[in-house]
Amino acid sequence: MTIPLSSFLVLSALLFGIGFYGVLARRSAILILIAVEIMLAAVAINFIAFATYRDPKAFSGLVFALFVIAVAAAEVGLALGIVLRLFRERRTANVDEANSLKW
Amino acid sequence: MFARLPLPAQFDRIIMTGGLVGSLVMGPILVGLIALYMLSRISGAEVVFYLASVVILLGALGAVLLPNLVHSALSLIATLLGVAAIYLMLLSEFLALVQILVYGGGVIMLVIFGLMLTNAQDDPVVSDGSQKPFAFGVGALIAGLFVAAAMMAQWGPSTATIIPFPAFGERLFRDFSLPIIIVAFLLDIAFTGALVNARRAESAAAEDAATGGTR
Repeated sequence: MTIPLSSFLVLSALLFGIGFYGVLARRSAILILIAVEIMLAAVAINFIAFATYRDPKAFSGLVFALFVIAVAAAEVGLALGIVLRLFRERRTANVDEANSLKW
Repeated sequence: MFARLPLPAQFDRIIMTGGLVGSLVMGPILVGLIALYMLSRISGAEVVFYLASVVILLGALGAVLLPNLVHSALSLIATLLGVAAIYLMLLSEFLALVQILVYGGGVIMLVIFGLMLTNAQDDPVVSDGSQKPFAFGVGALIAGLFVAAAMMAQWGPSTATIIPFPAFGERLFRDFSLPIIIVAFLLDIAFTGALVNARRAESAAAEDAATGGTR
């Protein structure tokens, strides 16, 4: 492998920044979910890079990346259920308009 | 509801436009990388890495910047498949397969379904102007901080080692058996909760229709 570890870290940092921008700038709940997926992918890249480069004996990072993927799948399923419910009750998927705790 | 779903002709147009834009953007980059490879400035692994990085970053930028929500979701596919390629570069082929199966198959389908069930076309995405500079500042700050930290640190010898597949499974199911069970419960609870949530809304809507919407 000729690619240094820092290349992967830089890629992951840029991806995380783009995802963070998306979470803050978007207003549709599903687009925020997409940006969160991008951030999770960046974190998983970091985990796997550190596991294969720096920790080849224990490689806990690989296991954690698997858990990240599983929890992200659960999060997407649950969040989309909530967004669908919100849309049925309020006719909107915009997080700015979902500002009451009870209706 | 079905009238809101994009027609096949519309999907054809999206795919054609996406392919055209993608090849126009990626073609010169590919040619440049191959030229650098021919001049033996960079190795073959670096060609694949830079190509995957460009796909990932452009896809992510498209996913957070494009005004059309369906285009954003389709652009996310490029990012997630590029991330799978990066996993392959990191010699962990099992996670690349899981990434393609779970994200390329499941998550993207869920997201696109969610977009289409919540009439995404009419969503006023254009109206968010005030928070974009702040969001850009924070995102650039975080990315710059992480990049600076990654560039300045000394990482020692950089040798990626192949982690054998049986060793991975042994570690996963011997040392991490309790977290595996917890994650299994979490997935079960999450999807049951999503199902119950959506169904309760339907029954409430049926009650609404029965009682004349006096709720």
